[in-house]
Amino acid sequence: MSNDEPKTDGGEPKTDGGGIVPQDDQAPTWSERKERTQGLARLTYEYFERSRREDEDLRRASDYVERDVLAFPTWPHEMIRNLAITSFFLGAMFFIAAAIPPHIPGPADPNSTPAVILPDWYLYWSFGLLKLTPINPELSLLGGQKLMSDRTYGVLANLVVVGVIAIVPFLNKGSARRPVEEPFWAAVGVGGVVFAFTIAVLAVQNLITDLLPMTSGELFILTFMLPFAFAFVAYSVLKTMREGYMFELNRRYYRLRPPK
Amino acid sequence: MSLERKDEHDHEGWMETKDLSPIEEVYLTTLIWLDKRLRIVDYLELLEDMYYKTNLQMPKSHTEQYNLDNKFWYWYPLYALGSFSTIAYVVASITGALLGFYYAPSTAAPSADAATSVAYSNVLFIMGDLNFGTFLRSLHRWSAQVMTAAVFLHMLRVYFTGAYKEPRELNWIIGIVLISLTMVFGYTGYLLPWSQLSYWAGQIGVEMALSIPLIGDWVAQLIFGGFTLGEATLQRMYILHVFLLPFVVTLVIAIHIGIVWMQGIAEPH
Ligand code: HEM
Repeated sequence: MSNDEPKTDGGEPKTDGGGIVPQDDQAPTWSERKERTQGLARLTYEYFERSRREDEDLRRASDYVERDVLAFPTWPHEMIRNLAITSFFLGAMFFIAAAIPPHIPGPADPNSTPAVILPDWYLYWSFGLLKLTPINPELSLLGGQKLMSDRTYGVLANLVVVGVIAIVPFLNKGSARRPVEEPFWAAVGVGGVVFAFTIAVLAVQNLITDLLPMTSGELFILTFMLPFAFAFVAYSVLKTMREGYMFELNRRYYRLRPPK
Repeated sequence: MSLERKDEHDHEGWMETKDLSPIEEVYLTTLIWLDKRLRIVDYLELLEDMYYKTNLQMPKSHTEQYNLDNKFWYWYPLYALGSFSTIAYVVASITGALLGFYYAPSTAAPSADAATSVAYSNVLFIMGDLNFGTFLRSLHRWSAQVMTAAVFLHMLRVYFTGAYKEPRELNWIIGIVLISLTMVFGYTGYLLPWSQLSYWAGQIGVEMALSIPLIGDWVAQLIFGGFTLGEATLQRMYILHVFLLPFVVTLVIAIHIGIVWMQGIAEPH
């Protein structure tokens, strides 16, 4: 110990561990600590406090019994029901697997291109989008040249399709859930499903044109017309159903909760 | 007056007033003894809390309240498609792990004069010689295909019941990621037997990768290990299929279902 260190207790040796400060009331509580935070942590704290208050207000104003989620509870209701239905499907799957074993084609041979090149069926749609050559726009500016190669165009079409599906929740808002409530969006869905099938058929066009009396040009047109046709039918049907259906539904609501 | 320190809450006195049967007495004595040392009460309280959280007496759901059940009970099987995808994924994982014992991703010829590859002959071995091999491979393929189909139908169910709306947009987007990953899973698996179909499906994949503007070459190198198919391609597909994708997909499915758990199943309005 050096000599110039200040001595406060007559220089006697300390045996009590020295500088340990006893816990006193000065120690901040957790909520005090949170209040003292700054920047992003502070914002988070303030927002949480607000939303907690909001929750409490809502709960006090509501005549609903308190519950965990604002929808159908996953556990146990949904899961039990799913387990029952799923085990049936699972059994069916094992049965099919035992009954229909997969076949295995010949070994890879880089020197002989097979007549039909295909991925598994669930990629047909993607494969079909690669065959959009006829509608790859030609720019008159470039003297009838195509802006991008047909392959690039096909890959881009894949991205566009996936991208459009991804932003659906941001295009169609509101609380309507049933197809009858929104015939337009239901029709878009039907058109989409039919397009998924027709574009998959386009992928195997060699097979189809062999099988059916149809040229590939006609098939191409059908690929795009059929979805529209189905969407149109779906739209008309739902639009017609809508009035009666909504009447039924509203009556049910109002019987239970008469309008004030 | 006894000098013995009095029990602060006098549990024994309390027990004497209770007129207990011997079993109850032994039980309580043990409980008090353990609790004094281990503070069991605190943990019991936690457990109790958890018990009531999972067994909440749920108030009537929207569907029950407005008696809509009779309107849509026949749609219930469609609500099980998500779970079915999960189960099919589990089956595919288990059978896939078993298949992995008998497969090696190599395009080398199995013997000097053979025109096939090790990968292909391994698949032939599984199909021909391995006990239950045909069933194993069949189940793996069927569960993969069934999963893809179930995921697609699940997506349609979500779309047509409007279940992607307000609080669930994020889960819809996670779902898009999942269906894409499921298809990539299928594609990488399709290449593994290194059959004629595998090879030419791979060829298309390389061409698609190469046709991406600017980064095409780089993508083809990264995913297919070169511009022509070979040993490197098969090995990359193998690593994607049995190492990378299983971890990623399992994690994303867990997040997806966790969100459903927190939000509940969307009810029709
Ligand atoms: C590997 C693929 C997938 C798995 C394992 C999976 C699993 C699940 C499960 C178990 C549920 C609970 C409700 C139900 O079973 O219907 C669910 C709900 C949901 N899924 Fe998926 N899913 C997958 C793919 C998708 C896809 C492709 C989409 C859409 C693009 C999607 C969007 C949703 C949404 C929005 C919900 C909430 C629905 C509601 O609350 O009613 N999921 N998913």
